[in-house]
Amino acid sequence: MSDDHGNIIAAYMKVFYALCGFTVLTVAAAKWMHFPESWGTTGDVAHVGIGIVIAVMKVVMVMYVFMHLKFDQPLLRFFVIVPVFLFFVMSFALNFLEKWTYTR
Amino acid sequence: MSSALNLSHEPVTKIRNGKLVMWAFLGSELMFFAGFFGTFIVLRNSNYATFGEGSAQLSWQLALVNTFILIGSSLTMALSIYHLERHNNRLFRLFMGLTILGGFGFLIVKYFEYSAKFQHGLFPGQEHHTLFFSFYFLMTGFHGIHVIAGIIPMMYMFFRSFAKGGYPHPGKVETLGLYCHFVDLMWIFIFPDAVAGAAAHH
Repeated sequence: MSDDHGNIIAAYMKVFYALCGFTVLTVAAAKWMHFPESWGTTGDVAHVGIGIVIAVMKVVMVMYVFMHLKFDQPLLRFFVIVPVFLFFVMSFALNFLEKWTYTR
Repeated sequence: MSSALNLSHEPVTKIRNGKLVMWAFLGSELMFFAGFFGTFIVLRNSNYATFGEGSAQLSWQLALVNTFILIGSSLTMALSIYHLERHNNRLFRLFMGLTILGGFGFLIVKYFEYSAKFQHGLFPGQEHHTLFFSFYFLMTGFHGIHVIAGIIPMMYMFFRSFAKGGYPHPGKVETLGLYCHFVDLMWIFIFPDAVAGAAAHH
């Protein structure tokens, strides 16, 4: 029981520190990572893109440890993966479709 | 006439019913927010200048403070569940209280942020940045409503824990915890969308 106690609390604390670190990294990347002027709007997209990649890593950690997917029945992970997958499809597919339509 | 049905766990999956229903609800919530994010991304990519100027008006410092508050309250929520499951009512109350304080702290920071925007005439329907601020208020407003909706049952559980024997339903706290973590997750996505631009332009 004491091992279990130490492990779970340690996992919570590791995730907490990682989330804080990634949050600082998001702001640092936006503030101090400069792209060449010639990149135009691509630099802006890159800033948000880096932020979203970091956000995805944070989300996986929260879902896995804080929301207990790591410790729960494996079946629950499949139950969760479907809406998460659809969330990303709905969020980004519309953008790709629009880009594809107007750049042809 | 007593019913022998035990509905505490779904018999096939062995997952607690409350937890399964909450995950299903969170799935529908994901679809709800996906509509916002999808539209935001499309409009942002076709209106770089407007969104860039709009996000430059935001305070990335306040958003950073709010992010730390939400991350901290996610940790305290997880710790409150952990301690209630081990029948430590005193620590459950402490961490649940801190989670509630985090929720109120988030809303107070948001109040100051919104007030500053209103004072500068930055809200939908104005001449400048209308498109960006329509999304900003819609997304952060709905997120704020979710925070309030989480605080209400948390306060009930907190005050109920003062009764003799403490709060008797760790499963319900765990289910509520899933919701609270979800609210944190949505903020994690709003943060780079809205704030990365603000930090880059300052």
